[in-house]
Amino acid sequence: MSHAPQPILDPNFAPPFPQAALPMLRDSQLRKNVAHATDVIQARRARLVAEKSDWQALRSAASRIRDEALENLGAYLEQFEKQCMARGGVVHWAADAAEARTIIRNILEEENASEVIKIKTMTSAEIQLNPHLEAAGVKVFETDLAEIILQLGELEPSHIVVPALHVNRSQVREIFARTMGLSNLSDDPQALTAAARNYLRRKFLEIRTAISGANFLIAETGAVAIVESEGNGRMCLTLPRTLITLAGIEKILPGYSDLEVMLQVLARSATGERMNPYTSLWTGVTPGDGPKRFHVVLLDNGRTAIHAREKERQTLRCIRCGACMNACPVYRQTGGHAYGSVYPGPIGAILTPQLTGMKHAQSLPFASSLCGVCCEVCPVKINIPEILIDLRAQVTDQERGKAARFFDPMYLGMRVANLLFSRAWLFHAAQWKARIVLKLFTRKDGWIHSLPSIGAKWTQTRDLRGLPQQTFHEWWKQRKQATQ
Amino acid sequence: MSPTSAARAAILRKLGGGTVRGDGAPPSESISRDYIRRGSLDSAACVAKMIERLREYDAEVTECAPDQLAVEIAAQLVRSGRKTFVAPAGLPRQWLAEGFNWKIDRVPGNALTTEEIEHCDGVLTACFCGVADSGTIVLHHSPTEGRRVITLLPDWHLCVLRASQIVETLPEYFDHCTENPALVTWISGPSATADIEMTRIKGVHGPRFLNVVVVKES
Repeated sequence: MSHAPQPILDPNFAPPFPQAALPMLRDSQLRKNVAHATDVIQARRARLVAEKSDWQALRSAASRIRDEALENLGAYLEQFEKQCMARGGVVHWAADAAEARTIIRNILEEENASEVIKIKTMTSAEIQLNPHLEAAGVKVFETDLAEIILQLGELEPSHIVVPALHVNRSQVREIFARTMGLSNLSDDPQALTAAARNYLRRKFLEIRTAISGANFLIAETGAVAIVESEGNGRMCLTLPRTLITLAGIEKILPGYSDLEVMLQVLARSATGERMNPYTSLWTGVTPGDGPKRFHVVLLDNGRTAIHAREKERQTLRCIRCGACMNACPVYRQTGGHAYGSVYPGPIGAILTPQLTGMKHAQSLPFASSLCGVCCEVCPVKINIPEILIDLRAQVTDQERGKAARFFDPMYLGMRVANLLFSRAWLFHAAQWKARIVLKLFTRKDGWIHSLPSIGAKWTQTRDLRGLPQQTFHEWWKQRKQATQ
Repeated sequence: MSPTSAARAAILRKLGGGTVRGDGAPPSESISRDYIRRGSLDSAACVAKMIERLREYDAEVTECAPDQLAVEIAAQLVRSGRKTFVAPAGLPRQWLAEGFNWKIDRVPGNALTTEEIEHCDGVLTACFCGVADSGTIVLHHSPTEGRRVITLLPDWHLCVLRASQIVETLPEYFDHCTENPALVTWISGPSATADIEMTRIKGVHGPRFLNVVVVKES
């Protein structure tokens, strides 16, 4: 197994996308693993979507339900808080990652918890909860199979639904054999899954505190819903004494019956199943069944700023199904790590820079060909290409103002173009000059295969059509003269 | 002000209020719901679809007449080769076949410990509803369905589903909920994962075997 340097999934420090993508593009094993996994999910999804004659009506309803929740988010959050507390839950509010981590650490201290079991939650990865808990002396056990692979292998997630899709069976075998001390382990997925079951069984039964994310918070009833496959979620939600749920404030659904739409679109979009094996819903604390203490931490961490922008607000509709990344021609080539965030792919490209207040990850809105397939597969109809273009404009506006960018070749070129395109005589003169200069590099086939200096940036990866010896204007003038 | 209440005030201020739909009425009523709410199959076809979908998930399904239910349950228990079973306190006495070691989970009062449940070979329960479209069994954890933990730890789950409990679409299940349940588990086949190379593996942490007895109404 290759020991490539760890990708940096913190948008504050990650290298720009084009730079981060290069090593991924050169890793043929990674590309094979990503292509295989996304092909399989996409084929399953396509089959199950095709059998739903009302798929488009479901998408429309799902998108409107999410909009309804977002338009009245403050009121729905208050309703959720009231209902959850009435049923014995404790609701905390966190403005940012640091506050959320402090709240969780304080609860763990009160509980005297030195170990926690965890259900896969991308929100906890967003606030980098695990390293902070470990630093505070709390041992964290991830329980989702993919998360175990990543945790034991000290790897980073590359997808929001199947975070270890870049790792193949022989790599998993190597990680499990090394960290669980099972030298005779085979690379059969059945055997690997059994190893994970054995590794976790006693921990489920003995560890008294669990941390989860949330798929949905139901405002009407104060309930929380979690969608999963393995049963590790049910274990964490049922066996411990104390449960802490970390949820972004946008996870609200207005009513219980709104699940009739969301559950139909989520599993089909995420894993290509009619329904995932287990979905759990609970409300506060139920005497005699499940945890005796239940905390919800509602996390802002940049979400209210996205909410405030009318055009970009639809970003918060996202239900984290991952369909956009499975379909994205860019993600399918690079995998998730190039995005420098725990949220990769098209949704990551719009979510990550916005979560940082457009201060970081500014290369991500450009990591797209704007082909629009992400928007077509999105179960809540987020118009990702439209937001990408809008964010590109914001990035450009920010950069243009910077003094350091004054002599940047791109902005220099843009200013020159601006000058040329606004004056006809200059434009014609430039055309005439370019024709003479470029002719030197144009081969017999009419194509330019290599240019010197800055022009090489283009010809390194693609050819350039040579300029025609006559412009349309010249031809038109000539034609007019000929007919007169 | 504590940090959490300061954060609360700031978040709510930035979100700028809004209104909650409906007092008592189901929220988001204004959303047009032109997706399929009611199925079009007759009850026999609906049951057939439920069974077909359950089998696609590798669940084992048998059918029986109402008066044959106790016999069918006993036959299933024998066939499983298992001895010790958990049952929630609300199950009819005649479902608990002779010759097996039954552990009754009585809540409140005499609940089984987690270790006791862990050492059982299987569990027998009723359920709230079956959704044919996705082959989903819905538990509301009533006294006949039991606490969540009893259908989680044992490796083998036998669930009794009456044909009258089967609806075709998921929205029909929500229509059946006269009040919003506090606890729900939607089960679609046995525990599974596809995290390694997208190969579906049955049985991770939840029960590896899901058996369903469909009781056909006479």
